[in-house]
Amino acid sequence: MARDDRPPPGIVCTGLGKTFPDGTAALCPIDLTFQAGHTTALVGPSGCGKSTLLRLISGLETPSIGRVEIGGAPPADTLARAGLAVAFQDPSLLPWRTVRGNIELALGLARHPVVDRDVDQLIRLVGLDGFADVRPAALSGGMRQRAAIARALATGPGLLLLDEPFGAVDELTRQQLAQDLPRIWEARGTTTVLVTHSVSEAVMLSDRIIVLSARPAEVIEDIAVDLPRPRDPDLGRSAEFDALTDRVFAALSRGMVTREPPLAAQ
Amino acid sequence: MTMAAVVAAPARGGFATALALIGFLALWETAARGLSGAYVLAAPSEVVVYIANNAGLLGRALAVTLGHAAVGFLLGNLAALGLAAVAVVWPRSQGVVTGLALLVFCLPLVATGPILRVFFGPGPWPQILLAALAVYYTTLIPLLVGLRAVPASWFDLVRSYGRGRWSALVHVRAVAALPYLFAGLQIAAPAAFLGAMVGEFTGAERGMGVLTIRAMRALDVPMTWALASVATAVAIAAYLALGWVARRVLRDDPPVILAAPPLAGARRPFAAVGDIAIVTGIALVLWWGALEWAGLSRFFAKRPADVFEALVLAPDAAATRATLFAALAETAVFLVPGYLAGLVAGAGLAILLVLVPGLAGLVMPLAIALRSVPIVTTAPLVVLLLGRGAVGTVVLVAVMVFFPTFVACLHGLGRAPGQVMDVMRSYAAGPVARLVRVGIPAMAPAFFAAARMNVPAAILAVTVVEWLATGKGIGSLMALSASLSDYNMLWSAVVIVSALSALGYGAVGLVEARVLRTYAPEQLA
Repeated sequence: MARDDRPPPGIVCTGLGKTFPDGTAALCPIDLTFQAGHTTALVGPSGCGKSTLLRLISGLETPSIGRVEIGGAPPADTLARAGLAVAFQDPSLLPWRTVRGNIELALGLARHPVVDRDVDQLIRLVGLDGFADVRPAALSGGMRQRAAIARALATGPGLLLLDEPFGAVDELTRQQLAQDLPRIWEARGTTTVLVTHSVSEAVMLSDRIIVLSARPAEVIEDIAVDLPRPRDPDLGRSAEFDALTDRVFAALSRGMVTREPPLAAQ
Repeated sequence: MTMAAVVAAPARGGFATALALIGFLALWETAARGLSGAYVLAAPSEVVVYIANNAGLLGRALAVTLGHAAVGFLLGNLAALGLAAVAVVWPRSQGVVTGLALLVFCLPLVATGPILRVFFGPGPWPQILLAALAVYYTTLIPLLVGLRAVPASWFDLVRSYGRGRWSALVHVRAVAALPYLFAGLQIAAPAAFLGAMVGEFTGAERGMGVLTIRAMRALDVPMTWALASVATAVAIAAYLALGWVARRVLRDDPPVILAAPPLAGARRPFAAVGDIAIVTGIALVLWWGALEWAGLSRFFAKRPADVFEALVLAPDAAATRATLFAALAETAVFLVPGYLAGLVAGAGLAILLVLVPGLAGLVMPLAIALRSVPIVTTAPLVVLLLGRGAVGTVVLVAVMVFFPTFVACLHGLGRAPGQVMDVMRSYAAGPVARLVRVGIPAMAPAFFAAARMNVPAAILAVTVVEWLATGKGIGSLMALSASLSDYNMLWSAVVIVSALSALGYGAVGLVEARVLRTYAPEQLA
């Protein structure tokens, strides 16, 4: 499969903050490090700036203060060689292209060769076999998100940024994807950053969970997830899994207390 | 109801259309028989007889005019595509590109026609250039709207693979803009025919325009009506053919997604003033440079300095200005009511069709017919029917404005976001509430785009009618100056009319900016 041959990059955010021109503080200055080749989950209350953080890392948004370094260089360098891929919250599929066409578009944009067999394999991986030549309008919300995930994986990026990619995916498929996706990024040693609302998904998929507080976001807790891999669904019924989810939930509820008047947060 | 459904309605509701057509013909025939002897109205039967007896003559003239219109249509639309691509890939140029394009579009065809005729002689180029001038702007504006009607996340996607504006244009904007391009082309097809006829009017050797002049001079009522009917039929055929192609190419209506405005690139108020200054400067340099380069005589090819002298410095400048402004005031009396009536009727009918979808099959063919009628050929007819007073002129201006507005508004209403409509339905909102809360706001960008580009179109209509029929106002003044070789007055009129036309466009744009700030901020990006 087409892929970036460089080693997966680590990410260092230093004093990183974003204020929009209208004065809204989307992210207050924060220091964070993401280890190369690891999967890190970001969890936190809605509106705490998780998505903004992800956009800053991707280089799609420029920071108002502080900086991001991917493998020691600004994100623009990684962007320029198509070394990262983003699965957006909104699947953002082009409505006039089929599932296959959308995946091929990503390959084309990243200047990767299109290998039909690889595209078919990706489509099968996300459980869309039989829908390769269907346009997004005919797919359910969950299927569209799966197509978007397949598209993000297609270029074999060294850095994978996932913004709640499973939001509309049904529970069974989600479990299946939680099995299959880590296998891909482990095999490639992809650095993955996952923004999610689901605590169990964060525990199941990641090597580390960063719990952020309500705005202005601060790191409430930084939890290492040292569960063995590969992880199967039975793990979800183990005592270690429960202990970890409890810890995340406790940290989340501590972080819910906002230091701003609630209405101002709107 | 979606755009595709409404536009397809004539094809599907064939029965209603046929009924409307038969009713229309019956009414026409009855009226003509009632008015026989008044020399104003030829019955459909007389028109058919005339066409059958003169098929060869009409066929040759039609072929000539169609050929010129087609070349002009091609050139004009290619220019529109190029300008739109430049404006989108290089956003800073947009103000200047659209400003220059507008200024050229605002040139009154009634005056540029004779001027081009002097430059090019009796050949086909005045017709072709006038056809191109008549279409490129009506394609450019919807294209620019379409190229921006794209959700922000699609651009993020392109950027996330390290690609820039060019890739976004090729992979995202170009396809997203296709429905808008076709909407523009559909309006352009009859306009190209009209432009070619105005060109022939200025002294071509062959073509429909030449025959129309001959029919008018001879007061040949059946011939006038036959020419108008043939021109109308051709325009409707072109419109329907493009609609057919559009339905083939556009498999389904794209969803409406509103892109977030880029917060960083907010325009400063000075930018607009700067753009106007740049556009004016470039226009003056181009004007002067082109005439000097072509080495054209100062006698008929007036330079900017000559016009300035005629209007300001010359001993008779005050008299020239007084003549011009008196003519403009005469024109405004017809222009303003006609323009407003056309806008209101266009938006109103589009809204009515959404509320009462059953009407579409009946109304659409009639609406198409009215817009597709090349105004050149109907001017004498309308004046025959309604007299040389205000009513005829106002009606013609309104007709000219009506159809582009109607098509744009229908399109806009069809682009109401699907899920928002579902939300409204889930609260049991009735059709009127849905229309007021969602449909009309969704229609606003298209309505204003139409309102803006109809300012020059309305001026074209009013000047053509004044030239051909009423003998009043600025159109008549320009025609008179051209035939008297008063080139100082002619060029001064061109400058003043273009400037006022651009000013009117700007004024509509200001209203638009206020409204869109609320309803469609992505269009102001």
